[in-house]
Amino acid sequence: MLTNSQAEKHETVKEMMRDAVLHDVNKISLFGIMDVNPGLISAIVITAIMLTAAALIRIFVIPKFEYIPASKFQVLLEEMVGLFNNFAKQNSPHRNKFLGAYIFGAGMYIFFGTLFELLGLQGVTTAGHSITLPAPLADINGAIALGCLSYFVVLSGGVLANGFGGLASALKEFSMPLSMSFRLFGAMLSGVLVTELVYYYFQLSFVLPIIVAVLFTLLHATIQTYVLVMLTASSYGSATEPKEKINQ
Amino acid sequence: MNIPLNIDWQQILLHLFNFSILTLGLYLLLYNPVKKFMDQRTEHYKKLDSEAIEKLKEAKELEISYEKRLEDIEKIIEERQASAAQEAKEAADAILKDAKEQAENILSEAQQAAQQERARILEDTQEEITQMAISATEKLLAQSSSGALNQFLEAVKKE
Repeated sequence: MLTNSQAEKHETVKEMMRDAVLHDVNKISLFGIMDVNPGLISAIVITAIMLTAAALIRIFVIPKFEYIPASKFQVLLEEMVGLFNNFAKQNSPHRNKFLGAYIFGAGMYIFFGTLFELLGLQGVTTAGHSITLPAPLADINGAIALGCLSYFVVLSGGVLANGFGGLASALKEFSMPLSMSFRLFGAMLSGVLVTELVYYYFQLSFVLPIIVAVLFTLLHATIQTYVLVMLTASSYGSATEPKEKINQ
Repeated sequence: MNIPLNIDWQQILLHLFNFSILTLGLYLLLYNPVKKFMDQRTEHYKKLDSEAIEKLKEAKELEISYEKRLEDIEKIIEERQASAAQEAKEAADAILKDAKEQAENILSEAQQAAQQERARILEDTQEEITQMAISATEKLLAQSSSGALNQFLEAVKKE
């Protein structure tokens, strides 16, 4: 599945790279309603997988939690939740409950969404070609959605904490949604492009994908998760900081 | 209107909707239950900790009260020892005094008895000596009575 050279051979490397950036050629039908970018299909699939996994964990694992963890999986889950919760508390001492939940969702989405491309799941385009489903955030629409939503969260936090004063201070960072969106998109896209390039050539399909696909994907998934979560948390923290404290 | 980079508002909204569902689902199914469990555990250990601190405090208070009681008991023991020693001394003095009095009585009685004995012995001895003198005189008289008495009687007659 990882090498998958046969599926890509209907187009040249130039066309393939261009499509990876613009998604203007290969479209996938969304339940027959409309044609969408493969990234959106990836997003829906990863959401379904993650929610199913979360539901199974909620039903079968969490009720068996012990005060002194007996399983490594419990430790892993607690570490994951604790990591984002502490991150929210450290970066935003005020009103950090919602922030913790949001950055947990965003972090999980970016991390597992990026690792999703390692699965090499195939989708069928409207033209009838097989295509490897990319990371959801390698689609610019996905990156814009996440960047804008993060900015909206920061904005809402500022308004709730400080009223219109908070709104004004959050609006100062007007470039934030743009920078967040394109940073995320650029970072994800670079990974996709390098991986696509390597997979395109049969000669590069041996040994190299282990480094390029697995390690590179793991690395940039971790980095992008950290970057977006950190930026959102620190901006939210400064927006929700009480005004009296700022004046001091 | 064609937006560059194939940006599509419908797809952005679909991504937003999808991500919102994911975040909400993850919050309800994973984040919140795990966080609740962790908070519950923290509370449990905090409670244990506060209970331990409380027990430690109680133990310290108990230790202080026992130390105080021990000190009081030591004081009482010292006082009782002192009073017992005083009583013992007084009893010993009284016994000694009685013994001295008894000894003095015995001594005076003994002296008196000795005096009486001495006087009786002296009296007896005098009587014995007198008796002995009388008997000796009588013997002497008996031996020499006929000649001398006769001589005496004759002398008396001649006169």
